[in-house]
Amino acid sequence: MNDETTQLTARVVRREMHSSRAVPSAVAALLITLICLYVMLEAALKALGQDPWLLSPEGAGEWIGGVPGSTEPTLLAAAGALVFLIGLIFFLNAVLPGRLARLSIPNPRAAVVVDAEVLASSLARRARVAAGVAPEQVIVTVGRRIVDVQVRPTSGIPVDRDAVLAAVEDDLRRTSIDSMPEVRVAIAPSGVIGQ
Amino acid sequence: MNQTPRSLNRVLLGLFGALLMAVGALALLVGLPAVARWWHNTAAAAGEWIAGVLDATTIEGQRDSWLWILLALLMVLVVILMIAWVSGQGRGRSGTLVHDDDAAPVPGRVTINGAVAEQALKAALNGRVDLVNSSVTTYEFNGQPALRIRVSPRQGVAPYVVAEEVTALVDALDAVVGRQTPVLITLSSGARARFTRAERVR
Repeated sequence: MNDETTQLTARVVRREMHSSRAVPSAVAALLITLICLYVMLEAALKALGQDPWLLSPEGAGEWIGGVPGSTEPTLLAAAGALVFLIGLIFFLNAVLPGRLARLSIPNPRAAVVVDAEVLASSLARRARVAAGVAPEQVIVTVGRRIVDVQVRPTSGIPVDRDAVLAAVEDDLRRTSIDSMPEVRVAIAPSGVIGQ
Repeated sequence: MNQTPRSLNRVLLGLFGALLMAVGALALLVGLPAVARWWHNTAAAAGEWIAGVLDATTIEGQRDSWLWILLALLMVLVVILMIAWVSGQGRGRSGTLVHDDDAAPVPGRVTINGAVAEQALKAALNGRVDLVNSSVTTYEFNGQPALRIRVSPRQGVAPYVVAEEVTALVDALDAVVGRQTPVLITLSSGARARFTRAERVR
């Protein structure tokens, strides 16, 4: 594989691990478009000398200028808080790194990106076989640094914690994720019946 | 690997969010008497200034300022820009896998359609029982054709096995096409993978 392809592949991995923020962008664009269309309508009506549709620009200006006195204070505060919260959501979407719940597997040829959920279901299968329980009795959560395995044993049949740990770690090693996460196995103290 | 304008998205979202936060904070704080007094003074001054500007831009014999027309046109411009921003999201799909117009060794142009990769890989992946779904698309990434292979493994299937086997298919495709394009393999968990039965028998 030539250098250019290798570099592009590395860039693809980095892009795929982070959110593109396409959805919040589309929402923001829609909001701005609606506001602009309304302002355009009122400005056009004003320019043509027609009556305003909802609120004349002068009326709006007066209302904004007289604001604490011209409205209910609690309503104003609530509206302000709501607008602030919506703004905060957009702002955090832009500022936070936007890491997706995905992992990359090193590969000589291609960029390989795996949803954490896919890896979790694979680990859950290994853990369930090692513990000898039904699929419903194992829950695996895959984070970036920690893999959490929870097993609820069948009543009366003890589960070998070390065997589960070894199986999960073996599967993770075979997957050879970039940074090996720490595995935590928790066996529930109470068992379940009839699974 | 599409051409979504990621940094533009971040910048515009950040600006829009900061603006909304400022408006919201002002509406919250204006309830305080000190802020209210400052706001009244500022608003009065701003109102006078705007009235002055509007008067100055009213042409003799006209009722209103021509700034209103300008404002309407400006809003149209913003709406067009917003439409352009939205249509830039997720762009970048293309139909070519290989494009070569080098003059060596013989003059001429060679184009291999993306459907070659799509159909070959789909045919190879279709028969597999450990995959619920697969899709292959060609994109233009950084001016170069690139291939995206998306597979949804059934629940419990080891991702490294699927990745290795898909890589083997990609290697075979490289050999057939004679060119190595950047390839992205994503193993995703779609709704179908979540709700279909895990494979019990191998």
